[in-house]
Amino acid sequence: MSNEGQTPDLSGDRGFRTVRESTYKYALATCAVLSVLTTVGIIAVLVLDAVEFFSVIPPLDFLTGTTFSPSREPVSFGVLPLVLGTMLITLGAGVIALPIGLLTAIYLSEYASARTRSVLKPMLEVLAGVPTVVYGYFAIVYITPALNTVIGGINGTLGTQFPTLGLFNGLSASIVVAIMIIPMVSSISEDAMSSVPDSLRQAGYGLGATKFNVSLRVVVPAAVSGIASSFILAISRAIGETMAVVIAAGTQPPDIPPVETAFGIIPYMSPGALLSLYSESAATMTVAIVNISGSDIAGGSTAYQSLFAIGLTLFAITLVMNVVSDLIASRYREEYE
Amino acid sequence: MATQSETAFGSVSRVKGTVFKYLAFAASLAGILALAVLLAYVAWDALGLETAGTSWYLSYTVTLLVPLLGFSAYARRRPEVTAGAFELVAMTLGGVMLTVATVILLLVIAGPAVWLTAFVFVVGPVLGLYVYGQYNREATWVGIAMLMFLVVGPFAAWFLFPFVALAAALVGGPGVYFLSLVVPAAGMAFYLASQRLDLSRRASLGIAAGLPVLAIAGVPVVDTIPQIARSVWLTILVMFGIPVGFTAVNTAKQRERWAAFALPAILVGGFLVGEALVGALGATQPQAWLDWQYLTSPPSTFDAEAAGLYPAIIGSVFLIALVSVFTFVFGVGTALYLEEYAPSSGPLGTLTRLVNVNISNLAGVPSVVYGLLGLGIFVNVQANLGPLSYGGFGVGTVLTGALTLSLLILPIVVISAQEAIRSVPDSLRQASYGMGATRWQTIRNVVLPRSLPGILTGTILALGRAIGETAPLLVIGAATTKFSPPGGLFGKLTAMPMQIYAWAFLPQDDFRYGVLAAGVVTLLIVLLSMNSVAILVRNKYQQEAY
Repeated sequence: MSNEGQTPDLSGDRGFRTVRESTYKYALATCAVLSVLTTVGIIAVLVLDAVEFFSVIPPLDFLTGTTFSPSREPVSFGVLPLVLGTMLITLGAGVIALPIGLLTAIYLSEYASARTRSVLKPMLEVLAGVPTVVYGYFAIVYITPALNTVIGGINGTLGTQFPTLGLFNGLSASIVVAIMIIPMVSSISEDAMSSVPDSLRQAGYGLGATKFNVSLRVVVPAAVSGIASSFILAISRAIGETMAVVIAAGTQPPDIPPVETAFGIIPYMSPGALLSLYSESAATMTVAIVNISGSDIAGGSTAYQSLFAIGLTLFAITLVMNVVSDLIASRYREEYE
Repeated sequence: MATQSETAFGSVSRVKGTVFKYLAFAASLAGILALAVLLAYVAWDALGLETAGTSWYLSYTVTLLVPLLGFSAYARRRPEVTAGAFELVAMTLGGVMLTVATVILLLVIAGPAVWLTAFVFVVGPVLGLYVYGQYNREATWVGIAMLMFLVVGPFAAWFLFPFVALAAALVGGPGVYFLSLVVPAAGMAFYLASQRLDLSRRASLGIAAGLPVLAIAGVPVVDTIPQIARSVWLTILVMFGIPVGFTAVNTAKQRERWAAFALPAILVGGFLVGEALVGALGATQPQAWLDWQYLTSPPSTFDAEAAGLYPAIIGSVFLIALVSVFTFVFGVGTALYLEEYAPSSGPLGTLTRLVNVNISNLAGVPSVVYGLLGLGIFVNVQANLGPLSYGGFGVGTVLTGALTLSLLILPIVVISAQEAIRSVPDSLRQASYGMGATRWQTIRNVVLPRSLPGILTGTILALGRAIGETAPLLVIGAATTKFSPPGGLFGKLTAMPMQIYAWAFLPQDDFRYGVLAAGVVTLLIVLLSMNSVAILVRNKYQQEAY
């Protein structure tokens, strides 16, 4: 190139260069299209088979039916027991993980030294990195027997009548799901709290507030949208969790407890009956998908199509939660930066 | 406030704050401690430690545990030594995993004939062109030529396979691996020694020439060990020897890191001395479930003593190899397009933003839904377009599983690659454009080299997610227990987490607390090695970044 004479050849090897540039551009664009195609594929696959399913089973029967037995006669495809199972596991995991995650985030963002933080944060990430099938194994082999020992001990000393847990139970599943969603709550909440401007904290201290007051009355309210978004994401992850629940909570959907009425008009379910469901098998929507696809069913049958109807329900729920969480988080970003 | 002028500052109770602080600290530790206890239990069961005698514990405490504690006390205040020791251990673990994966892919699954064909028509030319492109920067056609070989090579390989297979049979298995692994590795060793370690030209040439000599000289020694075939020896030399040797020399060159060699010395020496001591004392050895027999036997559902994980390990390596190729190519391609080419303003900019939102939402879709996607587009599908008909890739085949897992982790790879690309300072791009470089030249010479460590870290972590994923594989109809490894792309798949799932429902204690625990520990060790390599890459990157 350097010894090309006095007048520089500005045209260069344009033709080849243009071809090369556009080759690479379109090759890369093809890759990017794949991600869009994946979304289209998911929606198309789910909707196409779900539509056929709903032409056989009316959507109302699917959404309000109270028994789910896809393979045993008489077949029925009521999704409510599965929704109840999902709610049990998600609520149980949320009750354990959300406070722990929030406290962890407050500790990491407000109290921990830089050194402690650099040790704790990667260790918390490990919780989310362990394969879920391993969590299922932990639940069924170690946690359930341990819980039964504890329950036996409590019943023995206090004379209470807590039911002992079955081999498959919702409680151990909730505990392991909680362990795996803790880092999701803590890391996103901590990011939100760390980006609260320091001037707010200083103003709090200037008014004579203690660190406790500043943390709870200034930082947490200022970061509340980030915290809410982390809660929603964590719950969405718990709803979609599969393997830990398949192994720990079994494949039998919970029985819906009888609806009672208070004052003759307000329907309710007895909390005791709901709580006792945790000691039994509590299959979720995800478990039903794995369970049906594992049994011998032909493609095109109603049981096969019910997979996609449940999958569509699951996809819609998690998608809405993710979008809502995104919206909340982006509103928050506008406020402080 | 103003009315309090008389009193001194009121006293503020600190009890509430202190209690809260420790409560928050306890909450931070809750999950970590719970997992630590569970991991300790599973390791205890897998290694059968309860069957060991007291003198066994005493021996290893003296030979291994005490020196290790001493080393960590010494390294605590010396970050250089800690970093060096971590590097050595992580590279050793990574080298072992690389060797196992290569042996499984090239020796067990592919075999000499298939591998030689792939090497002659695809891998070899692409590598050669890449090296040529690095030496001769003016050769702008190299990239296109590599792309050509990637596309056309497989077809040529398909048609010419019988001839290459004949050649492979003539050369023999070890000969094929010598030509395709050891010879290129010698070139690689020369490059590493002269460019990365700054050794003299003579020393580098010596190392490069020494590798093949060592490979041949080692053969008589290896022949005496029945477990190690000649081809396996060559693979070990290349895949374990080069990374570990490189790290060792690199550590030895930095004086302040010399003490790091104490850690591997303690580990190896501790085991050897401990073994001798246990033998001398006649102590009871633990009956470990996780042993050589376990790693090389087919699974069983009734005989715990004979059960093993062999087919599942092979299956997992096969799956991960395919997934890593698919996701790396498409993930990095997507990230590059979105960050470097896609318009960011105007109506098309809105489209780009939509695609970005779409990808981050895809990352949040439950894995079991990806299983349904795989079921719908790779298994139960029938499409006829004129002469072309597509009927999916079969129920539970390796290819179906790999494609499904690829779609699952693709969004994660794309997002982490985007972050790595975004962290390249814009001033570097502007400088490159200012010197007359085109967009692709800027990407190739500036953006990719800077962001590659970040991209690699993200990809390895995402692959770690894929290796533990079970639900999508169950949904696409993979068998949970298989007694032989998959034979090819259209063979029925099996994977480590699938086998763990299959064993999880067996009621016998030998399975619950033995075979299953050993499977879990194997899976976790693989994950740990992958993650430590990822952290190593990231640490190196953070040191070099500015």
